[in-house]
Amino acid sequence: MRYGKFKRLTAVAAVSVLGLAAAACGGSSGSAGNDKTLVLWHMEQPPNRVQGFQQLIDAYNATDPEYQVQAQVQDWNQIYTKIAGAVQSQTQPDILFTIPDFTTYVRPLGEVRPVTSLVEELDQAHTFGEAAKAPYRDDDEYWAVPLFGMVQMLWYRADLLQAAGISEPPRTTAELLAAAERLSSGDQNGIALPAGRNLATDQVLYSLMLTTGAGDFFTESGEINFNTPETVRALTLYRDLLKFSPSDSGNYSWGEPQAAFNSGAAAMAIEKGQYLAPFEQESGRPASDLGCAPIPVAESGGQPGSIYYSNAAMVMSKDDEKAAGAEEFLRFVLQPENYGTLLNAEPGLFLPLTADGATAESWTSNEVVQKYRGCVEAMLKQSETGALFGFVDGQYVDSVGKISGQNVLAQVVQRMYSNGESPEAAAQWGEEQMRAAVAE
Amino acid sequence: MPPAGRTRRRRPWTFHLLGYALVAPLGLLMLGVIGYPLINTVLLSLQNQGVVGSQSTFVGLENYAQALTDSALWAAIGRSGIWLFGNLLVQTLMAFGTALIIGGRSRWSRASRTWVLFPWVIPTVAVAVIWQWLSNSNYGIVPKIASAVGIDGLGSPFGDSALAMPALILMNSWHWFPLGAVVIFGALQTIPNEIYEAARVDGANAWRMFWRITFPLLQPVLFALGLVGSLWSFNIVDSIYLVTKGGPADASMTAPVFIYNKAFNQFQASDAAAVSVITIILLAAVAAVYIRAAKPKEDQ
Repeated sequence: MRYGKFKRLTAVAAVSVLGLAAAACGGSSGSAGNDKTLVLWHMEQPPNRVQGFQQLIDAYNATDPEYQVQAQVQDWNQIYTKIAGAVQSQTQPDILFTIPDFTTYVRPLGEVRPVTSLVEELDQAHTFGEAAKAPYRDDDEYWAVPLFGMVQMLWYRADLLQAAGISEPPRTTAELLAAAERLSSGDQNGIALPAGRNLATDQVLYSLMLTTGAGDFFTESGEINFNTPETVRALTLYRDLLKFSPSDSGNYSWGEPQAAFNSGAAAMAIEKGQYLAPFEQESGRPASDLGCAPIPVAESGGQPGSIYYSNAAMVMSKDDEKAAGAEEFLRFVLQPENYGTLLNAEPGLFLPLTADGATAESWTSNEVVQKYRGCVEAMLKQSETGALFGFVDGQYVDSVGKISGQNVLAQVVQRMYSNGESPEAAAQWGEEQMRAAVAE
Repeated sequence: MPPAGRTRRRRPWTFHLLGYALVAPLGLLMLGVIGYPLINTVLLSLQNQGVVGSQSTFVGLENYAQALTDSALWAAIGRSGIWLFGNLLVQTLMAFGTALIIGGRSRWSRASRTWVLFPWVIPTVAVAVIWQWLSNSNYGIVPKIASAVGIDGLGSPFGDSALAMPALILMNSWHWFPLGAVVIFGALQTIPNEIYEAARVDGANAWRMFWRITFPLLQPVLFALGLVGSLWSFNIVDSIYLVTKGGPADASMTAPVFIYNKAFNQFQASDAAAVSVITIILLAAVAAVYIRAAKPKEDQ
């Protein structure tokens, strides 16, 4: 082959490589133009939830809207990474499900659209509870549309309590500790608590912090105030309860306590309403054996409470018309006749946030909701005193995502549980860690 | 050297240009897939970016100064050392033992060559789940067997700060030892039988044959496996993160998990980039020392 031909071939090859590289770097934001699809990201991965959400989306798409919704399931553990990358490459979804602290993380990325007029319109039509919408209001705007609530309860095995001679579920933290001790024998643990470095541990600890008077660890001006006697009291309680939890609690997240509870290896647990639906099948016990009660309250200085937060949807479309399409979909979701389809994707876990949603036949007719009506009512009641750190008493601490994102509360628990640190030392470490996180 | 009496003819400059032109596409590709991420990491490490993709300003070497005085980083690097040597030791022993077994001539040895690869083909996430299931105190088979033989209350080692690291090393070694076993097995096949027969005639026992023949002849392969295995093991994040997230209480927080944690849980992208650059330099230095130490033996 002649040199000239070589040169031409080489030039063609180089141009091809550059062309391919340029094409690979191009990407698409998927916005505007003829694209009539609204991409929705949610992080509810269990198959029944995916199916339930898809059912709702299919029902909406069947109304032949201008923009068809397409769901893409994400992972709560990966979403912080993925959304940052997506925004950087301008491929963010049009609708992104969220919780209050995650919203504080996503907003600085610069692509979240305010939805104030939509929230006010929906509030007029369906009446949101104040706790549902408050965590999404900042800078005089709403940044997400509340969709469903979640609250924690004390779950107990009525059969195991009865066998141990305990007639009533514990109401105070002292009773809780005493019951956990009494229910621990042989292969059975009194309570199953998570102590892994994860959100599950953060949340269970926080429920007990609320009922022991340590719920607000920010000052009025948003400064960290974690290392207090109330916090130490809550940490001491958690440490003591862990003595009656399975020996591998240091690696527990959401699933393990529930598995222990349903198998009878643990008599109590603190978690949200996902305990209802699978109980009979997984435990082989009748529904009447599943008991629920408010989170026990400290004898002095405590108050009723539980971790509670509303899940919501942010609109992130680049294009105004698509954003309007996204809002149209969210209007559809909160219609009482459709709302039940969303809530029953995980009946008992996803709680209604609107006045008409709480009585909507589409929700109340669900078999699980009917069977455990007492517990569902108790959860709705518990929601009234629920709170989420960073958003207590109308606060909006916009750095709270940095604290929850690195599971500082769970790390505090691990220091006591795995390293044998005292609650005082762990609280001190937690305060320092939080201050460092917020200062970044 | 050119043959005596002949002078080397100088190539025209166009010839060299052709050479450069031919390697240019590959060079560009390498620059894109290796150079760009590396340069981007270094640039990121000189800024003060928190959330990946957010606004930032230039801060010079501040992140490096902070990282080098961070005791948590040195603790993580120390754990990485334990992780690396633990994996190297356990994996090599498992691989060597397995290679000797599957290298036999019995029907059982031949059959085992196939199923020994089984752990290797399992995705990491499945390995993590399987090992967590096996050791779970509620439904795991290991605590149940332990209970049956009178050891009660055995929980998952992954939840115990003293046992998490050894358990992770065992899990990871179980996942990757087949690769080493297959490579060593292949190398064993290249050693001529005549050498063993000659040694046997000279009265060498099995141990002497292994120590004087097998081991020295396998050294180049073991060296390559050691280098690749070290770099590979050092950089593992998925196995550790899936099972313990670096816990409990940082007991399994190796340097790569520390970096991941800084970038995506603590939202300190630039600090994570600085630590990444430091570990790249450390790894390169270790690799250089390793290659230098092994090279003279190869040349002999």
